[in-house]
Amino acid sequence: MTKIILNGREIEADPKQPLIAAIHADETPVPHYCYHPGLSPVGSCRICQVEVKQGEMPARVVVACRTPVAAGMVVNTESEGAHKARKECLEFLLKNHPLDCPICDKAGECTLQDYSFDEGQGVGRSVEPRRKLEKRKSLGDVILLDQERCILCSRCVRFFEEVPKSPQLVVSQRGAHSVIETFMDRPLTGNYQGNIADLCPVGALTLKEFRFEARVWNLKKSASTCAECSRGCAITTEVLRGKSVERFRPRYDAAKNGYWMCDTGRFAWGHANSEERLAGSAVRASGGGWQAVDTADAIESVRDLGALRADAVVIASPFLTVEEGRELLELCSALGAKPSFVSPPANDLKDDLLHTGDPCPNRRGLTDLGFEAATAEELCERLAQAPAALLVGERVGELLGDGLAELSDAKRLVALECHLLDIPAADICIGVPNHVERTGTWINIDGIEGKIGPARQAPSGVWRTTRVLSELCAAVGAGARQPLAKGDAR
Amino acid sequence: MSHETFLLDRIGSEDSHTLDGYKRAGGYEALAGILKDGRDPADLIEEFKASGLRGRGGAGFPTGLKFSFMPDPAKDKRTRYIALNADESEPGTCKDRVLLREDPHGVLEGCLIAAYTMRVQAVYIYVRGEYRVPYQRMAEAIAEARKAGLVGKEVLGSDFTCEVYMHKGAGAYICGEETGLMESLEGKRGHPRPKPPFPAGFGLWGQPTTVNNVETLFNLPFIVNRGADWFRTMGTEKSTGNFLCGISGHVNKPGVYEVPFGITARTILEDYAGGVWKGRELKAWFPGGSSTGLVPASFIDTAMDHDSIKGIGSMFGTAAMIMLDETACVVRSSHVIARFYDHESCGQCSQCREGTQWLSQIFERIEAGQGRPQDVELLVELSHGMTPGKTICALSDAAAIPTLSVVKHFRAEIEAHVEHAGCPLRAPAEATA
Repeated sequence: MTKIILNGREIEADPKQPLIAAIHADETPVPHYCYHPGLSPVGSCRICQVEVKQGEMPARVVVACRTPVAAGMVVNTESEGAHKARKECLEFLLKNHPLDCPICDKAGECTLQDYSFDEGQGVGRSVEPRRKLEKRKSLGDVILLDQERCILCSRCVRFFEEVPKSPQLVVSQRGAHSVIETFMDRPLTGNYQGNIADLCPVGALTLKEFRFEARVWNLKKSASTCAECSRGCAITTEVLRGKSVERFRPRYDAAKNGYWMCDTGRFAWGHANSEERLAGSAVRASGGGWQAVDTADAIESVRDLGALRADAVVIASPFLTVEEGRELLELCSALGAKPSFVSPPANDLKDDLLHTGDPCPNRRGLTDLGFEAATAEELCERLAQAPAALLVGERVGELLGDGLAELSDAKRLVALECHLLDIPAADICIGVPNHVERTGTWINIDGIEGKIGPARQAPSGVWRTTRVLSELCAAVGAGARQPLAKGDAR
Repeated sequence: MSHETFLLDRIGSEDSHTLDGYKRAGGYEALAGILKDGRDPADLIEEFKASGLRGRGGAGFPTGLKFSFMPDPAKDKRTRYIALNADESEPGTCKDRVLLREDPHGVLEGCLIAAYTMRVQAVYIYVRGEYRVPYQRMAEAIAEARKAGLVGKEVLGSDFTCEVYMHKGAGAYICGEETGLMESLEGKRGHPRPKPPFPAGFGLWGQPTTVNNVETLFNLPFIVNRGADWFRTMGTEKSTGNFLCGISGHVNKPGVYEVPFGITARTILEDYAGGVWKGRELKAWFPGGSSTGLVPASFIDTAMDHDSIKGIGSMFGTAAMIMLDETACVVRSSHVIARFYDHESCGQCSQCREGTQWLSQIFERIEAGQGRPQDVELLVELSHGMTPGKTICALSDAAAIPTLSVVKHFRAEIEAHVEHAGCPLRAPAEATA
């Protein structure tokens, strides 16, 4: 590390990184468009101008992304010259920008807006006609390009060249006529296209899925972990008005995913947004239909059913957290049963970048706890021979597949699921929160912990999985229900 | 007109572009001498430094010093290159064309001496795409020289080996910028690279590279033959030797003339170019091509050398003097120039991409009679946002500098355009048409 002076303070700077990285590491803001820490610096947008004084040379305004760190350099991000240079640069960037912020999906998280607000000038001095380019150019299934909004930072071009290493975008034409395009207008391919919408500092590249779905300031953002594979990419879950998940976006994690995530994970909110949620619990009525009940009553029914026995098959969902797994182990040891979890076959999404092809986000965590991984076929066979069964966790029914429907209705089967498990064998369904509604830990393929965080509340009447399990455990041990306060649903 | 000349002396005979013609005039003696004596490259660099030779591509950087930036080959084993910049595209500049077309062997010998001096393995000659005959002549010269053992393995039986390749540009001005040229040679878009790293450390394909102008290297054989002291007898103390002045515009005899540094612009205009045409008065002139500041006629007695031209707020550039007579409209000529830079901006840097277009649009509007009083100040402020050194390369400066100079010297004429809602110089018939 090298010592430099930043805004009058001495800081440590990594000499292998450009100056802007040192400034950002100090959490001092410096505007940037073309610079991105995950991509090679090109120094073309010229917005990151700061004043630098080295040795006896007079102070100069330079771009921080292409200036090497040198011992003793004196950097001022707030000098008059630096402010003026950035203000001028912003005026040029806005010269042809359509300023359609009211209908732009990026509004609210657009750095062209932010920096203009911070340092730009309030008055536009151009009376010239603005560039007319394509406003709605499809770049494939994922991305829509608005060429008028583009400020040509080329982050998207470099992303495909440097991260998935499949160059697909180019800057074509020249000068003020430059546009971003795919070669010969071919659609973008690959599982990492969505990242360029995050990278785009303006609203030029937007996700077709997110277009006009929400104003970003209405989204509540919570840190979490992706559920789609055993990489467990760090993500942010973004929920609109406490209801639907509108976006999953990558969150920087040096050990796991860097700045990126795959499109499979990015758009995997189908289950989380599913309308057919089990809002409380349900038990099989005498006529064969389902009757909604309080979870407390459902737990009592489980005891009465006699499903909690040593020869019951206990099957966990691969989405179970480590904490839930521990609680389930308690229950299993109380019963004397052996726990396993459904392990769906590896899919063909495995790549060299992030996706592991293993759809179990917590395989490592559950295996380490002592859960046995088994295929759906194997487990359904075991289920067919067992007198009782306990299925625990979100999507466990779906992952076990069609084999479940063939089970005899004489079997005593209890499911802790997000959805009603409407199969003949099922007797009791207890609603549990899904992965955007609960907290806990998954352990990824490399043994790195990832926290999942609640981005919204589970439906009222749904208890935490750990609580349901501990109540069940108590029911096994005591043989009698612990008194519960009314209204203590969560 | 009684000064020593040497640059264009061989030109005029029918076969000046052939090996025979060149050899008859003493060609390749400098190279042969160096190889025979096994001259120490460090010695040659000192000789070039002592000569005071400065680059003729526009910046006027000392050539010997530039050569010395190449890393020591004993410590740095990478392949080394010279890129000869023959992408002469600055409006007004046409001097290298003469050398390539009429004296290509002189250019080649200069390249080979530079290659020997910097222990370079290959020279790439990047020729402007429109230069068809010069390209052909240069290619023929290389073929002839190769046959004669002057290019390729073991030149003239020595242990000096140097390949020479040619490349034809595709018509972009920006490929004349040294790093844009290297990108283009590598087969990429001609986008200038940010510096550092500098070409001497990270140039063509990441190898040590020096980019030189044609006329610069053309001087080397003369310096080797006659010595640095002789070279310093011409020109001024800080700008030594002769230079090729391409004078164009409203003059009687536009052309390329060899003159010593320090000669006044008036001498070039009157004694060489035959004065302003049609008996008119001079109004303004560009000393060194369209990217240098426009100066009014009153500066015509300025000496043509780097420091004197800098003293009048312009640049020596490539010594491509463009003369405007009294009938010329500076707004119109500014628009022509601004449009050129708008067209040629590569589009990487925000200021240049948007600024060159904006300047062009404003000049166009003022010339068309739609100027606003605030436009004059806007031109100045936008130009200050584009220069100096605010972008990766100097194209942004090249557009801003003439704009600033035109406002500085001809503000009244621009304001008259705004006031009259059109060009006050245009004939009434033309204005109403």
